[in-house]
Amino acid sequence: MAHRDPRRLSRRQFGVLGTQVSGAVVAVLLGIPIVGFLLSPLFRQQQAVWRKVGDISGVPDGEPTKFEVAFPQDAWTTAENNLAVYVVKNGDNTKVFSNVCTHMQCPVRWDGSLHQFLCPCHGGLYDINGANVGGPPPKPLPQYVNRIEGTTLFVENRFTEEI
Amino acid sequence: MGRRLRAVYDWFDERTAIRSLLRKGLYEAVPVRGAWFYTLGSATLVLILLQLITGIFLTLLFVPSVTEAWQSLNYLKEHDAFGSIVRGIHLWSAYILLFVIGLHMVRTFFSGSYKRPRELIWVTGVGIFVLVLGMAISGAFLPWDQAAYWTAVVVTNIPAYTPFIGSFIRALWRGADTVGPITLSRTFGIHVWLLPAIRFPLIGAHLALLRKHGEFGSYVNYRGAYRSREGVDVPPAPAQRPIEPPYPAAPSDELWAAPLQTEDFYPHQTFKDGVISAALVVVVFVLAVVIGAPLEAIADPATTNYTPVPEWFFLPLDELLVLVPQQLIPLVLVLPTGGVLLLLALPFIDRGPERNPFERPAVMVPGAFAVLFVVILTLLGSGRLFNL
Repeated sequence: MAHRDPRRLSRRQFGVLGTQVSGAVVAVLLGIPIVGFLLSPLFRQQQAVWRKVGDISGVPDGEPTKFEVAFPQDAWTTAENNLAVYVVKNGDNTKVFSNVCTHMQCPVRWDGSLHQFLCPCHGGLYDINGANVGGPPPKPLPQYVNRIEGTTLFVENRFTEEI
Repeated sequence: MGRRLRAVYDWFDERTAIRSLLRKGLYEAVPVRGAWFYTLGSATLVLILLQLITGIFLTLLFVPSVTEAWQSLNYLKEHDAFGSIVRGIHLWSAYILLFVIGLHMVRTFFSGSYKRPRELIWVTGVGIFVLVLGMAISGAFLPWDQAAYWTAVVVTNIPAYTPFIGSFIRALWRGADTVGPITLSRTFGIHVWLLPAIRFPLIGAHLALLRKHGEFGSYVNYRGAYRSREGVDVPPAPAQRPIEPPYPAAPSDELWAAPLQTEDFYPHQTFKDGVISAALVVVVFVLAVVIGAPLEAIADPATTNYTPVPEWFFLPLDELLVLVPQQLIPLVLVLPTGGVLLLLALPFIDRGPERNPFERPAVMVPGAFAVLFVVILTLLGSGRLFNL
């Protein structure tokens, strides 16, 4: 057998290397756009919008009152997403609670007889200030950033604290 | 067979070797004992194929969009009686599939069929089981009625309790912070392409490995007479306790043996398989026509009077969500994940040659407790939701 320099690739090693490099090129060229495609919605900034909730002059003190407010849906859908909010007035102080439970995001509702917000899914309870007082919810009800012009309430599509 | 037909068959056989393939496929020796239990596997396959066929036809109409998914299914309900039956078959065969694949798994667990060299038949089977569950859960999102929407909200929110990367996983599935248009598109793609594209090759591997090792995994096949590797028939022992046969290890193993009582797969096993599968399909068809697939009111994220009720197969996990206190919510992820990992590890934990379920208390007792736990959670959940 002819003498071969061990530092040089044999024909076989070259074949192995070439096959692996070809596979890697295909995997990288396919993988980058696919992973980017999957992740791209996560890095899109949500458009901040203010929406009118309604006239709150009729909202009684200390009695959470449900309003519906339409926010844009993410992505391409032109139809807006109707969400429920609870407006709680306490003198000059007005809070706007989301009705999304902090446990599994079920639709929380005010139960007048219990005098608490009740989650129908897993029995979470919140008091009139949104504090989680029973069941599995780990955090208080989130509140929308809001402003009042005269007696008209507006909310922004973000919470006062990150949930 | 007519002469011309035989000529065509010969022509194909020369080019494809179809004759020997069919012979190998149809006339394999299968055990006589336990044969009715083995129909659970073929029934699982038949129900999965029923899902595939009805699913393909449903995509001819269904629109995976938050503004039109519900409308397209409502159109089906209002204007297309046959289409409604197709959707009914899709739903009810999914429900019955979950039962049958569960029974198939319990049978395999009980008879110790997962032991060497069949570990990978069990492992691929666990994979198929998990994918069937994934199909059931992703399918439940698609109608975009109230039930579907709130199932989507709760189910995609559960991974949010993964430590550190929870909200990232949730956003990855939802395609946004909240459930919306991309959630439906992604879940539709997962349901009709991603999971089936993984599931069907796994089913292929499951069946190929089963054929490689023969359908002789069960304990019941070796109570009594068996045939040793050398082709010697070993008679049943006269004593009360059945003789302990040299359970089949790898075919190359000295201990390899086959049950004495075998018969051809076709038509003996196919008869039993056919009877059970046809009976199940009749049940599915009747349920599809009589009860059909429900469609509630269209998804309303602003509702404050709708009570979300999970699909029945989701009840054990839903009950865990109620029972687990706020400090321990990740437990809801840990328990099912741990359960699946334990199932995958089973053939590597229970490695002894003993297959008799009564001689394997170390796996039978924890297995029974696990099943009992799931059943109790289901009963508690149904009691809570339906005031039973």
